[in-house]
Amino acid sequence: MPRRVSIGLITILVVCVIWYAVTTGLGLIPSGRFPSPAETWSAFIHVSGRGYGGGDLTLHVYNSLRLVVLGFLFAIATGVPLGLLMGWSRTAEALINPIFLIIRPIPPLAWIPLAILWLGLGDAAKMMVIWFSAFVPSVINTYAGVRNIDRPVIEAAYMLGMPKTRFVGEVLIPGASPMIFTGLRLSLQASWTTLVAAELVGAFYGIGRVLNVAQQDLYPGMILVGMIAVAILGWGTTRLLGVAEAYALRWNTAALAAKG
Amino acid sequence: MGVIQFKGVNKIFGPRETGFQALQDINMEIRDKEFVAIVGPSGCGKTTCLRMVAGFEPATDGVVTVDGTPIKRPGPDRAVVFQQFALFPWKSVYDNIDMGLRNLNVSRSERESRIADILNLMNLTQYAKHFPHQLSGGMQQRVAIARAYVLDPDVLLMDEPFGALDAQTRVVMQEELVRLARKNPRTVLFITHAVEEAVYLADRVAIMTRAPGRIKEVLDIASIRNAEDWDSHEKIEDVMDLESFVHLRTHIWRSLREEKAAQHA
Ligand SMILES: Nc1ncnc2c1ncn2[C@@H]1O[C@H](COP(=O)(O)OP(=O)(O)OP(=O)(O)O)[C@@H](O)[C@H]1O
Ligand SMILES: [Mg+2]
Repeated sequence: MPRRVSIGLITILVVCVIWYAVTTGLGLIPSGRFPSPAETWSAFIHVSGRGYGGGDLTLHVYNSLRLVVLGFLFAIATGVPLGLLMGWSRTAEALINPIFLIIRPIPPLAWIPLAILWLGLGDAAKMMVIWFSAFVPSVINTYAGVRNIDRPVIEAAYMLGMPKTRFVGEVLIPGASPMIFTGLRLSLQASWTTLVAAELVGAFYGIGRVLNVAQQDLYPGMILVGMIAVAILGWGTTRLLGVAEAYALRWNTAALAAKG
Repeated sequence: MGVIQFKGVNKIFGPRETGFQALQDINMEIRDKEFVAIVGPSGCGKTTCLRMVAGFEPATDGVVTVDGTPIKRPGPDRAVVFQQFALFPWKSVYDNIDMGLRNLNVSRSERESRIADILNLMNLTQYAKHFPHQLSGGMQQRVAIARAYVLDPDVLLMDEPFGALDAQTRVVMQEELVRLARKNPRTVLFITHAVEEAVYLADRVAIMTRAPGRIKEVLDIASIRNAEDWDSHEKIEDVMDLESFVHLRTHIWRSLREEKAAQHA
């Protein structure tokens, strides 16, 4: 086991021990405020078995994960091309930038009421708010990535007679890709944040729904289960994106390694 | 074919009245298959001249033509070896060299054999799969040269192509370039700071003044090279010892020193 991983595991173990100590062991924190490990475990069994807040854990996780993945993919499928266009064409930039200047200061969460008003409590509204929050970072970073491509490299592509179609796929996108991935990471984080918030406001299923019901039921164990579930899902999806990034940017990590 | 002509070329960066004049009244013809080197103090506009031929920079006044046609845009008929290499960092050495050939729709088998040849010539065969960042500066420069050579262009534009090479590799590359130029001559515009390199490689050497850059004088090397039969010497150091070579070199040195002195005055 690599050293980093083993140290990480030890840290988690220590946190768990302290957690047990301050709740069950020493009773410093009453269970109405923060659940003990045993209470959390029983809440976990509760939601995975009988179900809670309208479904079992698998259903909630499935719904949240599906919405995040779809919303995120939808956002980047629209955001990255728009960023490429804005980075490449001054005209497109001049046309589109004003809209961004107006929309950007609005926190994505502020769109939730409007989305629910328009589209109800179902998936469509959640997709819309995820799209709003994840779209902006992917556009902005892709745009910056294109602007950051070395001028001589673009000139070399012209000199080599590269046709437009190939130019986009083989120069523009790979050239901007380090920044594109920065945008994707921010987009993914934003997707989770807005999804959970939107589910808190109103949903039939999902982890935000679990959190919301648990809060109304004064059920701290279940709240913690919901929080841990979001943390694990967020970590997992970020990790997957990281693997894709490491592969796509292997030419770049080589550069980092060479620089030490 | 590849005749390059500068006719009354001025280059001003920025607005005409207040901008910076980089080049002034450049008139020069580079004949088909001629090798011309440009030397001059740093910042005198050498790269700017080359960029105009490449099609990256329009002339403010006058016109630059290739085979009589004014240059409008860059293209693989005028291959450039950039001063800063300008390799695609996300492509392997092989794919960098392959790019231009693919754009020209050369068949796969021909591309493979041409790239294998050039990799071999540049001593890069075992690095074909490496990314540029995994190579030393000198190796990257060789890739940049290979990427231009492999196109077999009418016009080859080289901006200090050997600048990042160590002395030994540099000499090998120079001898190689001479061999190539004799075997398969083409029009070359070659920029360098190294006076010896210019005299050794070029048919003619153009000396530029400090900014705003003008052509100060053009020396005919080829006639002296032929008269003194430099090519009978295989090694560059033997040529460099010849009296005719030393004479030319010293002449260019003096001329450049005048410019540098004027620059600091
Ligand atoms: N795009 C630009 N805008 C403004 N000034 C420029 C631009 N490009 C070059 N210059 C200026 O024009 C002059 C000539 O530049 P150029 O790069 O052609 O010089 P050079 O002879 O190649 O120098 P070096 O030997 O250092 O490479 C310089 O003073 C430079 O600052
Ligand atoms: Mg230069």
